[in-house]
Amino acid sequence: MNKDEHDHKHCLELFEKLSEYLDNELDEVTCQGIEKHVKECVPCFVCLQTLKRTIDLCKQTENRSVPKDFSEKLKEAIQNMPKSPSAR
Amino acid sequence: MTAPKRTNRKQIKDKDFELVRAINSGQFDRFPDLVKRYEQKLYNFSFRMCRDAADAEDTVQETFLNVFRYLKDFRYETKFKNWLYRVAASTCIKKRRKSKFAPQRELSLDEFYPQNEAEDPQQVPEWAQMPLDKLLSNELLDKINEAIFTLPEKYRLVIVLRDIEGFSTAETAQILNLSDANVKVRLHRARLYLRDRLKGYFENE
Repeated sequence: MNKDEHDHKHCLELFEKLSEYLDNELDEVTCQGIEKHVKECVPCFVCLQTLKRTIDLCKQTENRSVPKDFSEKLKEAIQNMPKSPSAR
Repeated sequence: MTAPKRTNRKQIKDKDFELVRAINSGQFDRFPDLVKRYEQKLYNFSFRMCRDAADAEDTVQETFLNVFRYLKDFRYETKFKNWLYRVAASTCIKKRRKSKFAPQRELSLDEFYPQNEAEDPQQVPEWAQMPLDKLLSNELLDKINEAIFTLPEKYRLVIVLRDIEGFSTAETAQILNLSDANVKVRLHRARLYLRDRLKGYFENE
């Protein structure tokens, strides 16, 4: 399918489901429908690939280290809490 | 005569149950072990939600104080981690409502439809094709973090829980008290928003 023949209604329906497709949360028939469509529709294929890469990148975001004195401050706050079950 | 109650509860396996049971049976000196297990993860979750290091510290502290207070009510019907994140998410939301910073808005699917793309929709851009390790840089990771920070809170909560913390759709729904369908809708829009921000970054590079 070229750009001019882009079936927008169908594309829009599939567009809503792309995340579920990438997360393997769709039934087999719907998955096959998406796979068939993106083989023929370049804009939808591009959209799927860029969305997939976005998710991959999001998963790569690094964790910050806990500030040095944070664990100590937390420990102190917990030590100051009432310890008996009735006080909880 | 009354019929015996049928219980359909699944037996949950959870590495934290032993420790939680010990604390709930009176071994309060083991609470710091629970804190140690989750402080790093909760700090990062809170930082992503609060966008401020001092607020993230306060939120984690408040979360653990709430956990200590309400741990006796934990029913072992869900993984402890899911329950902990439920407390953390609720603490973050309350904290944020108190802060000056609350630009909430709805993200509509229409604004992300590929028809509106400035780039050539006939070609997969290089950033989506090249090997991930070649693409990754500190600058790019900073950009992604910045983009996550600018997401409205209700979308940010979902994408952080699903794509960064690794919870399933059902677990995220349980943590946030939403339906699975609602989690899916918010996640898709959040991802499309980040995709647009990444496109913008690579186009202007």
